[in-house]
Amino acid sequence: MNRYEKVFHQLREKNEGAFIPFAVAGDPDIAVSEMILKAYIDGGADILEIGYPFSDPIADGPVNQFAAQRAIDAHITPVSFFRLMKKIRRYSDLPVGLLLYANIALHLGCRNFCFAAADAGIDSLLVADMPPEEHGELSRAMSEAGLSRVFIVSELTPPGRMRMICDRVDAFVYVVSRLGTTGTDTTLSGGVRATLSKLKTITDKPLAVGFGISTPPHVGEVIAAGADAAIVGSALVKIIEEHHEAAEALPGLLAKKVRRYKAATRLQPRNGRNHYA
Amino acid sequence: MKRKKRTPGYFGRFGGAYVPETLMPALAEVERAFAAFQKDPLLQREFRELLKTYNGRPTPLYFARGLSAHLGGCRIYLKREDLNHTGAHKITNALGQAILAKYMGKTRLIAETGAGQHGVAVATAAALLGMKCDIYMGTIDMARQRPNVFRMDLLGTRVIPVDGGGKTLKDAVNEALRDWTATVRYTHYIFGSALGAHPFPTIVRTFQSVIGRETKKQLFAAEGRLPDFIVACVGGGSNAIGIFDAFLRDKTVKLVGVEAGGLGLNSGKHATRLSPTPNSRPGILHGSYSYVLQDRNGQIANTHSISAGLDYSGVGPQHSFLYKTGRVRYTYATDREAVEAFSLLCECEGIIPALESAHAVAYAVKEAPKRPRNDIMVINLSGRGDKDIFTVADYLGKKI
Repeated sequence: MNRYEKVFHQLREKNEGAFIPFAVAGDPDIAVSEMILKAYIDGGADILEIGYPFSDPIADGPVNQFAAQRAIDAHITPVSFFRLMKKIRRYSDLPVGLLLYANIALHLGCRNFCFAAADAGIDSLLVADMPPEEHGELSRAMSEAGLSRVFIVSELTPPGRMRMICDRVDAFVYVVSRLGTTGTDTTLSGGVRATLSKLKTITDKPLAVGFGISTPPHVGEVIAAGADAAIVGSALVKIIEEHHEAAEALPGLLAKKVRRYKAATRLQPRNGRNHYA
Repeated sequence: MKRKKRTPGYFGRFGGAYVPETLMPALAEVERAFAAFQKDPLLQREFRELLKTYNGRPTPLYFARGLSAHLGGCRIYLKREDLNHTGAHKITNALGQAILAKYMGKTRLIAETGAGQHGVAVATAAALLGMKCDIYMGTIDMARQRPNVFRMDLLGTRVIPVDGGGKTLKDAVNEALRDWTATVRYTHYIFGSALGAHPFPTIVRTFQSVIGRETKKQLFAAEGRLPDFIVACVGGGSNAIGIFDAFLRDKTVKLVGVEAGGLGLNSGKHATRLSPTPNSRPGILHGSYSYVLQDRNGQIANTHSISAGLDYSGVGPQHSFLYKTGRVRYTYATDREAVEAFSLLCECEGIIPALESAHAVAYAVKEAPKRPRNDIMVINLSGRGDKDIFTVADYLGKKI
């Protein structure tokens, strides 16, 4: 059983959803980034989602764009990134997913990138601008290196395509809760419920909802709607943005936040997976 | 990214569709609609009619007697794309895609713009067809292309300033893509160049290839033969692929693409992707696999050119393919060479060229004197230069 299977299995036994906090690696710099990721773990995260900073992140809203820029300005390199990931892996055994843009993997070469990632303790890759059709070479390298695949499904994805994507996923299906880029929303889009129900008729792979989830009630809502996990990114990254110049306070603040989000995954006891559907 | 068989959307190993999943259904929809559009006689007639009566196509092929005499080498012809409505070749693609968008039932157009020519073209098409329109433009480009910003405003389009990254074309494309991901149900994104994810490079080339077909016919009428050289500037590469396309199989015709050399390749301040430079490598930017200027960590590099329309880190995937196969020769002109060519064309021909097109003229200035009088060189004069007068005045230290 890999790390993802283990976590999702344990949480199902406990009738809990997984909470997945997100941060951009190296934001605002490598040292503080390490403290931030450890604070997420200390706060009770079940899985970590880590973004590799990229200069032109077309799937990200302004909050994550600025985070990536801070990390680039602090001179993150592939070497310092993988070193950071190794430290996180030594600190904890929870699953670590990496979100990146295609050019970063291509730049090192797909095989080099995948083996370095696996060696650093990363469990899965999600390439924001690489749909399954273009995934051939990277997928082969990922299989060789033992990395799991994550792909995105949106409310616009036709059913046939949903099936194709679910077949190729082996960590979890990333369900975007609204169209557009990452960011914080005040309300949750209604489309996500319909997408989750559709997906449940197609696959029994874990479903994680992200994009625009910003409050503990949102987290509770998507878990109640049948998701196996809720991903919170921009709402946490915003806190990093606001405090990055006085970073001492960050770990405490973030751990507290994560604890609140995590609590929301337990709020509504579920009777098996089909509670909502 | 090795690929052996021919896949739609690929030019050799370049191209593809590297976009967020949310856009995949939209790309499929555009591809289907474009195939239907090409077979629909009514839509085709509407497009042809507009090109003729609204755009002013065919644009003339003019024997540049002043420039040819001045340079004293081969005979030079100018393909007068600057005489299109709105002042550049961009309108041809904008009209074609706006009709396509309307046919798909979209009510809103968005686009990125660098020099503002594409933005003006899309704003024009939107006004003509009664569609809503928003244009993304980097704040540096807005400052250096003020006349075009106001033209878009007059046409009822909202220009959205982009302040991220290098504040130029690349950053405007990022914002337009983000907008499109959120509004794809009712919005069509008109890529301005033969760039981006499949099917856009093919659609833009198809619309712009009218330039090459006209040139071939016009030159046969004037000279009874094929040209020896065709020269075009390459930013994203739409005017170049537009004039090259009809000649790709005519192996005797030398095709030359001129990129922006900025302050010179050693300065690091340039937008030259298709010459050997330390930071140009195949990679993925804005939806396709192609040559991209990037740093040693795989981050996309910012570029510099005096001409906003060539100031871009990536290049259309078909150009990468033509560079690799050697069918097209790519070279560059620096800011200084472009401004000198700009002034020269003003003085010997009474034509104020766009700074982008002046890069192609700069190649002629270097090459034409070495060629015999019997040789024929066609320069694609992709746009007019009224928009650039402030930039050139600044560069020459003149006050206007």
